[in-house]
Amino acid sequence: MVTHRQTWRSRGVACRGAVSGHVPLISGGSRGRRRIPPEPDLGVRPTLTPVMAALGSSSQVVTEYVVRVPKNTPKRYNIMAFNSADRVTLSTWAQARMERDMSNKRIYAEEELPESGAGSEFHRKLREEARRKKYGIVLKEFRAEDQPWLLRVNGKTGRKFRGVKKGGVTENASYYVFTQCPDGAFEAFPVRNWYNFTPLARHRTLTAEEAEEEWERRNKVLNHFSIMQQRRLRDQDEEEEDKDKGRKAPGKGGGLRIHDLEEDLELSSEESEGSEAEGEKAARPKAAGGRPRKKKRKGRKGSEDEALEDSDDGDFEGQEVDYMSDGSSSGEEETGKAKAPKEEEEGPKGIDEASESSEESEEEKAEEKEEEEEGKATPTPQEKKKKRESSDESQTSEESDIDSETSSALFMAKKKTPPKRERRASGSSSRGGSRPGTPTDSGGTGGTLRAAAARLEQGRRAAPGGSEPPPQKRLKTEPGPPSGKSTPQPHSGKSTPSSGEVQLTEEAVRRYLSRKPMTTKDLLKKFQTKRTGLSSDATVNALAQLLKRLDPERKLIADKMHFFLKE
Amino acid sequence: MSDKGELDLTGAKQNTGMWLVKVPKYLSQQWSKASGRGEVGKLRIVKNQGRTEVSFTLNEELASINDIGGKPASVSAPREHPFLLQSVGGQTLTVFTETSVDKLALEGIVVQRAECRPAASENYMKLKRLQIEESSKPVRLSQQLDKAVTTNYKPVANHQYNIEYEKKKKEDGKRARADKQQVLDMLFSAFEKHQYYNIKDLVDITKQPVIYLKEILREIGIYNVKGTHKNTWELKPEYRHYQGEEKSD
Repeated sequence: MVTHRQTWRSRGVACRGAVSGHVPLISGGSRGRRRIPPEPDLGVRPTLTPVMAALGSSSQVVTEYVVRVPKNTPKRYNIMAFNSADRVTLSTWAQARMERDMSNKRIYAEEELPESGAGSEFHRKLREEARRKKYGIVLKEFRAEDQPWLLRVNGKTGRKFRGVKKGGVTENASYYVFTQCPDGAFEAFPVRNWYNFTPLARHRTLTAEEAEEEWERRNKVLNHFSIMQQRRLRDQDEEEEDKDKGRKAPGKGGGLRIHDLEEDLELSSEESEGSEAEGEKAARPKAAGGRPRKKKRKGRKGSEDEALEDSDDGDFEGQEVDYMSDGSSSGEEETGKAKAPKEEEEGPKGIDEASESSEESEEEKAEEKEEEEEGKATPTPQEKKKKRESSDESQTSEESDIDSETSSALFMAKKKTPPKRERRASGSSSRGGSRPGTPTDSGGTGGTLRAAAARLEQGRRAAPGGSEPPPQKRLKTEPGPPSGKSTPQPHSGKSTPSSGEVQLTEEAVRRYLSRKPMTTKDLLKKFQTKRTGLSSDATVNALAQLLKRLDPERKLIADKMHFFLKE
Repeated sequence: MSDKGELDLTGAKQNTGMWLVKVPKYLSQQWSKASGRGEVGKLRIVKNQGRTEVSFTLNEELASINDIGGKPASVSAPREHPFLLQSVGGQTLTVFTETSVDKLALEGIVVQRAECRPAASENYMKLKRLQIEESSKPVRLSQQLDKAVTTNYKPVANHQYNIEYEKKKKEDGKRARADKQQVLDMLFSAFEKHQYYNIKDLVDITKQPVIYLKEILREIGIYNVKGTHKNTWELKPEYRHYQGEEKSD
């Protein structure tokens, strides 16, 4: 304290009233005068009026004007303030539109319950009001007057501004706008409100989630331009897909089944483009699609820049790739499905669009309907997932060749399995996807896919049945087409990652066959070459021998020979 | 006729320059009392060797400030008000107007900001002192009373409200069990209006004893324990036929 005063004194500045007696009031006026640039253009034009008088000495020009404060003007005057850094030049404005930003309306709107009839409660409003009073909850009403303005200049491609009301403007002093009238007098209008207008960004911005992701990688990412570039690319691709799919979707409704198989067998990239288009739903709201896609994107990016995944190569060895979508998906619940798509959205869809599209399979179309039923939000990830899952073995080699994809592939593969399982849960498709990077199980591909497609149809037919999809499907599919998964499907699904080795033993075969009837193909799937470490030929031979030994019962289900063991 | 939401840019095109002036409260109050065409005073601009001085002189008749009670002037407002000119550099200020019919127009751009200051004078100081005294008065005041208040909280044999209540109860009598069919009719018509009812409300509506009513309700309705409509009764699904529900009677 003392030092402070001493400094002041040493500077020779008079403290206000603290030091000396009579202190000249350092009025704002004197300070202000110093700051005024010489000869400001006041925009005032002297005109001839009787009131005006030119007085003063030679160097002075004095003009007087009458000031009027009109009463009862219909117009209400407000201030629109822009920051000068935004370089707002009114001369460039050709046309402008401004309206209130009503986006907060729904926040204020109370929960809508029907007033009478179904769903309504007697005296509900009264009770709500009494409750609010009891707890002292005061609801702020929604006033259109206080809402911000949205200003659009020069049409859709021009600039956009948001004007927020500034509070406290009229509390202690009033602002007046002085305009000069043609007759030379000034008219003063009071300012009702002051709005601060800020420009809205037209360029792409990251969402909060994306921003957080990027923040975590800020030490590793050097090229910041790539962040937005990749995002833009992704969005473009998605848009293209959307458009394609929209176009194709209506056309293929009826002939899905046939197409599925054809697609499957051909596996051509041209087809895949088209089917891809189908798969995605054009109707999907872009926002919903955009967000899951974004998540996918970022995941993909993440995988490229650094190794996010903890899983090692061998982790996916034991996973059951039920490529032959047997209807047994019955066992799964649908609950997990909602979760799964989200999860997999998190996972990077590392495989880039090209490879994915090439993998485009009938699954897309088949899933399309299923997707619709599941919900709009999930379709995109589902589609993508399916695409990837349906990644035919033949494509895995292609994928593995793509360098950047390997790590992402792993990551994706890991993520794919839960959604894969979930998808089965949804019921219509019990198709498991093959992981990318799985060595081709090409032996059974053609037939399996066909069977899978057939089962898909069945499943889909079941799904529109509506009210009881899961139990119905369970009933249908269990005696029906065999699936590699039996009732303990969740178990099997979950156990696949953990059970890395499944030996082709008699015990295992016995176990499978006693649970439910299976075809040879199913059994083969169970003992995949990757898991057992045998070649496909060896597996086939071994399996045949085991079957001979076991001599299971035979039953013809759905035109296929099923084996099963009676306990 | 401009479109709704269209901002009329004529003011901006003409580059109409305006001043934004901050005016003290008392002055704006006096201005609101102006009569006739609204003349409130004169603005005087002196250009003096590269310096501009602006000052506003309040009209004579508006100078006298009446207190809130309408009493004649105790103080008079100062008449001279020099304007303090400020730069408009950091912001681009424009003025837009809104007509009551939701028509928006851009009137012009602010080229000069100013602050209307009263010239320091005895008058002004007195005025200010008055203002401060008024504002420093507490809104709520504690007042000491001479006598204790004896008009409320008198002990009473039986409160008026209670008397009325008991009389009403006697007159209405206990709720009698009406015919079951009648009660059912009443219930069905009630449930037509609303889907969920509290048991108390139903008792009110039907005027039946609670136990009897509950029995009937158990027959035709279900009791919601959880959910948004807690502790409410509603009709069984087979009895309902609301719009939008498939199941019906």
